[in-house]
Amino acid sequence: MISRSYFKQKGLLSLLLILLMLPLIAIGGCGGGAPASGPDALPAAKEIPREALTISLEGGDWGYPSPFTHYPRGPGIFKMQLIFDSLLERAEDGYIPWLAESWEVSEDGKTYLFNLRQGVKWHDGKDLTADDVVFSVNYYREHPPVSIFFGGILLDEKHVLEVSAVSRYQVRFVTAAPNATFLPAVGSARIIPRHIWERVDNPREFLAPEAVIGSGPYRLIDYSKEHGKYRFEDFDAFWGPRQRVDVIEFVPVSDPVLAFEKGEIDLIEDLSPDLLHRFQNNPEFSIRENPGFWGFRLRFNFERNKLFQNKALRQAMAYAINRQELVEKIARGAAIQGNPGILPPQHVWYNPAVPKYEHNIERAKDLLEQLKQANLSFTLLVGQDREVRIGELLKEQLAETGIQLNVESVDMKSRDARIREGQYELALVGHGGWGGDADYLRTRFAGEKRDWFSGTPGYNNPLVNELGRRQFAEVVENKRRELIFELQQELAQDVPEIPLYYTTGYSVYRPGKYDGWIYMFDHHFLSHSKLSFLER
Amino acid sequence: MSLPRLKSVKKIWQEMTNFGRIGLLILLLLIFMALAASHLTWHPHNVSSGPPLAPPGKAHLLGTDELGVDLWAQICYGARVSLIVGLGTALMAGAGGGIVGTFAAYRGGVIDRLLMRLIDIMLVMPSLPVMIVLAAFMGSNIRNIILVLVLFSWSHPARIMRAQVLSLKEQGYIKMARVYGGSDLYIIFRHLLPELFPIVAVSMIRLASMAIVAESSLAFLGLGDPTSRSWGLIINHALNFSGIYFTPFWQWWLFYPWLFLTLLVISLAFLGRDLERIADPRMAKGL
Repeated sequence: MISRSYFKQKGLLSLLLILLMLPLIAIGGCGGGAPASGPDALPAAKEIPREALTISLEGGDWGYPSPFTHYPRGPGIFKMQLIFDSLLERAEDGYIPWLAESWEVSEDGKTYLFNLRQGVKWHDGKDLTADDVVFSVNYYREHPPVSIFFGGILLDEKHVLEVSAVSRYQVRFVTAAPNATFLPAVGSARIIPRHIWERVDNPREFLAPEAVIGSGPYRLIDYSKEHGKYRFEDFDAFWGPRQRVDVIEFVPVSDPVLAFEKGEIDLIEDLSPDLLHRFQNNPEFSIRENPGFWGFRLRFNFERNKLFQNKALRQAMAYAINRQELVEKIARGAAIQGNPGILPPQHVWYNPAVPKYEHNIERAKDLLEQLKQANLSFTLLVGQDREVRIGELLKEQLAETGIQLNVESVDMKSRDARIREGQYELALVGHGGWGGDADYLRTRFAGEKRDWFSGTPGYNNPLVNELGRRQFAEVVENKRRELIFELQQELAQDVPEIPLYYTTGYSVYRPGKYDGWIYMFDHHFLSHSKLSFLER
Repeated sequence: MSLPRLKSVKKIWQEMTNFGRIGLLILLLLIFMALAASHLTWHPHNVSSGPPLAPPGKAHLLGTDELGVDLWAQICYGARVSLIVGLGTALMAGAGGGIVGTFAAYRGGVIDRLLMRLIDIMLVMPSLPVMIVLAAFMGSNIRNIILVLVLFSWSHPARIMRAQVLSLKEQGYIKMARVYGGSDLYIIFRHLLPELFPIVAVSMIRLASMAIVAESSLAFLGLGDPTSRSWGLIINHALNFSGIYFTPFWQWWLFYPWLFLTLLVISLAFLGRDLERIADPRMAKGL
């Protein structure tokens, strides 16, 4: 009998345990994925009136959207930007005043005075002041955010000599020299609340709900890492234009086209031309062709393999690779072939006069003969899926000139990490940002900083360094443009990397549900634009 | 409790059902396809030879994929991968597992108990998730995939063999052979193996079928050897093509590799079922 009562007790105990755990399970089920954040701590979801507009977009985990914890790619960056504002914002035609109402640049081009908008509130109700701006810059210097635009000039203490709050709503930057990229660099830095972050020593591990308190038009209500789900709701006390979209949801979908047709998501952003016919000639849908600002490039690691130091080899590979075939086969025609001068043809400063390296096997073979090197064999690091196919096609194309390519496939995040660490010989990588300020020619080929995005290990071309430095310091736009043109010419001659193609593809949406979508002047996706969700 | 000895091919053929015969024929056909791949195809299997996504026709029997690579050639060469994985896994796991099982039963005692617990552990481990992890860590090439599959499939034949050997060991003629001074090896090779072979063969066919599906699953999940061009990988590439079901392309690019994979697995299943019945009528009844 002892054993029986024991079991009885044990049964009761386990029942109790289960009862105790039930609410926990329920919380776990709807809770956020950020380890340190309980969902009850997030701002409570407010009552949405019936006619509230919810826009659903394709989900996926891109990290917790604080400036320190999102994943450094477009979908991660722009989610963070829904929450965090900057002094300037990117619109259809260029930068527009945002947190900064106006600014003055001194005669010598070295001192910038920003006049901040008054009455801007953080999501927790406190005022945003010049103090927060100064704090953000100083904090970033100590703890660089995930994505630093313009090569981190803002964080360079040799360049930015002084950042100070002149009054409650005025910030002054004193720089060492006039610079072309300083205004957009300051303008894109996300302003973070001092009263929260001054207590945080390790921002990369700060995943509390306070980490996503910004001043932007949207607040994060729910985040689930495992499911790749996000929910943003409009911030009532937002200073700026009214939100046209009340709720932005990111939901996991298996197939975007199917999900769009079933109404689960409201936008397709990368539609293949093969499927265009499903939406054409139907007034229910609007179709827009994306600008070619998202591109694939083939990168050389000059440190890993000294052979790449040889210009003839790089030029031979540029001749051997049939970029048009890549466009037709992999992108199904929805792309523009890569420009050896790096900048895509739709870029405002594109130089059309650079060498084009039209596909030419004979030229490639002639160049390789100069090399006097038999059995050329390289390992190409690629990501997955489409990139494996690009790798296979490159292998086939280069084989025609006798260059052997071994394709090594890893997942995207490992590939990015290995590029950052220089663990590759040849790498294929695709990313956006090709429409941005042409200063990226410097950060890619003449910059000191090296991450998965910038820098070319072991590449050193004095002329590129010189032109990069000069355009950086040039504030007269026409002169700078000339320098950038010259730089493109030299890069196309020297082939420090081979841009393969810039994808265009199509975006489709139902204007009947929502038609506010716009492209930022330098960006390829509609949903990445904050202004797409606001009244204009 | 007597097991049938090895039978002649002719007798086996006579005892097989029609399904079994069809299975055997399909299997032989596929093996022929794999062996004679270079003679059966007139396009290369690894580089493009025509327009991308051409439908099946005169120039390309089963059409081409999005790079313009002939699908018939890919399927013929892909048969090699599937068959090597299937056969390799079956042989290694069957032989290895068989040896372990025989050894355990024959020796008995602590060794038997230890090995049985190990087998229990292997049996309860969920194989596909572990395979996915191992494939991701060890890197994916055919050799690694076979090794991982062997690691997870030797326990089944080992168990079956152990049970059989345990009952055989008590047979009068074996005891007699031992009394007359037959060595362990002599008894195993002369008396046990011939009795056990049909049962191992059956379990090997099952393993082969499992291995082929597992390799395709791994390849389909993108964990296979990305350059191996197995059937699973063709399916993987086809499914990665954005919106394949909204285009006519799935009708050849996805359909044919699926068809051949299904044919291979079904033929192995038919053949396995028949051989099982022939090898041990009791087992077939029990299933």
